[in-house]
Amino acid sequence: GSKRLERPFLKAFRSCRAIMTTTLQPYLDAVRVTLEAALCLEQFSSQVVERHNKPEVEVRTSKELLMTPVVIARNKQERVLIEPSVNSVRVSLAVKQSDEIEKILTHKFTRFMCQRADNFIVLRRKPIEGYDISFLITASHTQLMFKHKLVDFLIHFMQEIDKEISDMKLSLNARARISAEEFLKRFN
Amino acid sequence: GMIILEQNNRILYDLLEMKFNNAKEGNKPDLVDVRFADFDGVLYHVSNPDGDKTKLMVSISLKFFRELQEHGADDLLRREYGSAVLPSPESGYSVSLIYDLTALSDDFTDTIMKVSSLKRHCFASVFEKYFEFQEAGQEGMKRAVIHYREDETLYVEAKADRVTVIFSTIFKDPDDVVIGKVFLQEFREGRKASQTAPQVLYSLGEPPMELKDQKDAKVGDNVGYITFVLFPRHTNKKARANTIDLIHTFRDYLHYHIKCSKVYMHTRMRSKTSDFLKVLNRARPEVKVEKKTITGRSFNAQ
Amino acid sequence: MALGRLPACVIDNGTGYTKLGYAANSEPQFIIPSAIAVKDKGASSHSSALRSGSTVGKIDDLDFFIGDEAFAPTAANYSVKYPIRHGIVEDWDLMERFWEQCIFKYLRAEPEDHYFLLTEPPLNTPENREFTAEIMFESFNVPGLYIAVQAVLALAASWGGRAADQRSLTGMVVDSGDGVTHCIPVAEGYVIGSCIKHIPIAGRDITYFIQSLLRDREPTIPAEQSYEVAKAIKEKYSYVCPDILKEFTRYDTDGSKWMKTYEGINNITKKPFVVDVGYERFLGPEIFFHPEFANADYTTPISEVVDDVIQQCPIDVRRGLYENIVLSGGSTMFKDFSRRMQRDVKKLVDYRLSASEAIAGGNLKPKPIDVQVISHKMQRYAVWFGGSMLASTAEFYQVAHSKAEYMERGPSICRHNPVFGQMM
Repeated sequence: GSKRLERPFLKAFRSCRAIMTTTLQPYLDAVRVTLEAALCLEQFSSQVVERHNKPEVEVRTSKELLMTPVVIARNKQERVLIEPSVNSVRVSLAVKQSDEIEKILTHKFTRFMCQRADNFIVLRRKPIEGYDISFLITASHTQLMFKHKLVDFLIHFMQEIDKEISDMKLSLNARARISAEEFLKRFN
Repeated sequence: GMIILEQNNRILYDLLEMKFNNAKEGNKPDLVDVRFADFDGVLYHVSNPDGDKTKLMVSISLKFFRELQEHGADDLLRREYGSAVLPSPESGYSVSLIYDLTALSDDFTDTIMKVSSLKRHCFASVFEKYFEFQEAGQEGMKRAVIHYREDETLYVEAKADRVTVIFSTIFKDPDDVVIGKVFLQEFREGRKASQTAPQVLYSLGEPPMELKDQKDAKVGDNVGYITFVLFPRHTNKKARANTIDLIHTFRDYLHYHIKCSKVYMHTRMRSKTSDFLKVLNRARPEVKVEKKTITGRSFNAQ
Repeated sequence: MALGRLPACVIDNGTGYTKLGYAANSEPQFIIPSAIAVKDKGASSHSSALRSGSTVGKIDDLDFFIGDEAFAPTAANYSVKYPIRHGIVEDWDLMERFWEQCIFKYLRAEPEDHYFLLTEPPLNTPENREFTAEIMFESFNVPGLYIAVQAVLALAASWGGRAADQRSLTGMVVDSGDGVTHCIPVAEGYVIGSCIKHIPIAGRDITYFIQSLLRDREPTIPAEQSYEVAKAIKEKYSYVCPDILKEFTRYDTDGSKWMKTYEGINNITKKPFVVDVGYERFLGPEIFFHPEFANADYTTPISEVVDDVIQQCPIDVRRGLYENIVLSGGSTMFKDFSRRMQRDVKKLVDYRLSASEAIAGGNLKPKPIDVQVISHKMQRYAVWFGGSMLASTAEFYQVAHSKAEYMERGPSICRHNPVFGQMM
């Protein structure tokens, strides 16, 4: 049942393993297109493999059921790994971390979110190795949810997480400065 | 709000206030036997000596009191607390003060405040001594080393024009090493905002030059050294009390604010996580499923 | 206290009041309202205000008061919030900041130096335990944490000097504070959640009832002081009587022996006033046993609720529960409360036994059931005291979750907190 795989989006999976784009918008566009393709794939395939309810991208029972994973990178650090399979897609993000503060803030934030993974449904409790956060979208998720809005969420998340980390860093610096000043100004 | 930590111990203050008031009102004194802690590993015991309920004994234990005694703690405490200081403290404690509930002065608010600042006054001796050295222009005196916490040390040294106070502190949590560094950088820069502030220097991992000969100066990724250079404007008799108030709480102040910033970070993360969840929930046709956000508030209420 | 260790911090966060202090003491060092006064940021939610640019130049999130200070004049422009509702944490942002001041302003503890024992109500969720762990280990770096169930601590508090083999963690806890009364059956240290019952009568209701009795009779009490006068009278003079009809007769025949006088001072005029205290001495707490006096919608006596709860529990634990009905909380402190409850529960039990004997035609003689209501010295702050006692044992340090364990395995370690303390 591979006829439908010949749609243009899906050719992308076959022909290229890595996409590199440095500016933000083309990067996000590339992620969006790839995600949309990956999610189409999955819906189609879930009908083929009946009663198969374990996410294939996780259990990896057969190579036949896995598609070629795609990495879309903006630079060395910021990248998305999209791993499609017959009934599930795993999306993993590596978030920009320009210094050790951003590194711990990213780690704190993603760990905080994973702690609440039950609420997020599509959030994986642990990121896969080399990435900061992973999402796992299964066939049942796409049946319950609007696919395009799910893609919107992932794109929104990618845009916001960078902003949030850098805002957190700014406010940490501001707090540290105020704490120091409050203490030191009391000497006279 | 609380930016600066309080100088006195609130448990001690409240307890004495209650017991003193009770005695003043002529009520039957009751049995007291309370043990509690304070920053820097300090322990207190408030009790009735030999079961005599008309008397209240306040004992403090500091692991490093012997070191403070080398720098005149006994004299300072006698100066502050007079005859209330017991010649030999309760067993297991560093200092004991005793108060007769039947002979309290009419206004005991100052007494309560002073007793509840016992820890501060124990610490004060070493600073006062080196401030005096500096004022008298006495250089080359042995440097004071106070092991004020397990693995954390305080060094005080006097020169003719300055007193140098160096704290070593440990960041137990690996993330705190990074957050701590941000704070220490800002302490170093802080003088830009306040010309009257002491000069602050810091180093991470290795002790500063002044402590190169110090055998027990710790080395390690999570060790921080913070140097305060106090000038005569900070050490003179008029400014002294304020300087000691601040400097002896520095370590606790730093760690308090690091923790408060993590509390703040949690608040931000709760809020942002809840925003993300709202966006994700737009993908769900039946919104009713998620009644609550992770902060526990209901969606409808927001 | 284990040798060379600083005492553990014990914090019992209740809906109305938080009890906090150091382990091994018999009473908490502070009993403060579980309230936090924060700067009102208008319509926008607090956390979004904290995130906005308004924080430049000050640290807004440190600008708050907890406990009694939340109601003081200095907090007049702040709004008072309660992070805990029905025993369960509702607002984690506020709760975390509440703890921040509990630790640094009240206990003055460097949290890295002390193990912590916190309490939770019976039906708390495992997620809430994880959130608590996340805060304690990550924000405050505590070296160890144990989350104890309040009712279990109340049982432990009643042990007194009992020998180790007499220390039971099976019992029926009747906990009554200011706002609500709970009947919580516990078997072998585990709450039988499905059988818990709440009674809408507690300290506050008794005060209201006394207030209403006085209002009709004592016009000298300033209206704005009537609640506090009623509360003072309740605390000073109230008791539980064995039989209200007989009690009325006593007062009517020998009033001078039973009547009391309460002397107060008018807050505004500063003039003294005097209140005669009569029937309200025993009628106040009587509403536990005759709720219909105060509440037309609720009529089940507390002893009947206790009996019902035990009857709903698995048959093999019922005897253990009847034998160990443990009182906890300030509103169970009335003189002779335990005696009355024991008598009333015993009556219900004996009646049931004789009824079943009658059905069996006298052929089957059921084994009598022992009913014991335990009243003890540490009853007022029983939950805190139980925590204080357990957190001062060496075993506590073994069962508490450590920071190392947390770093390795995450917050889920705190979902389960093993029962301990019986064999010390």
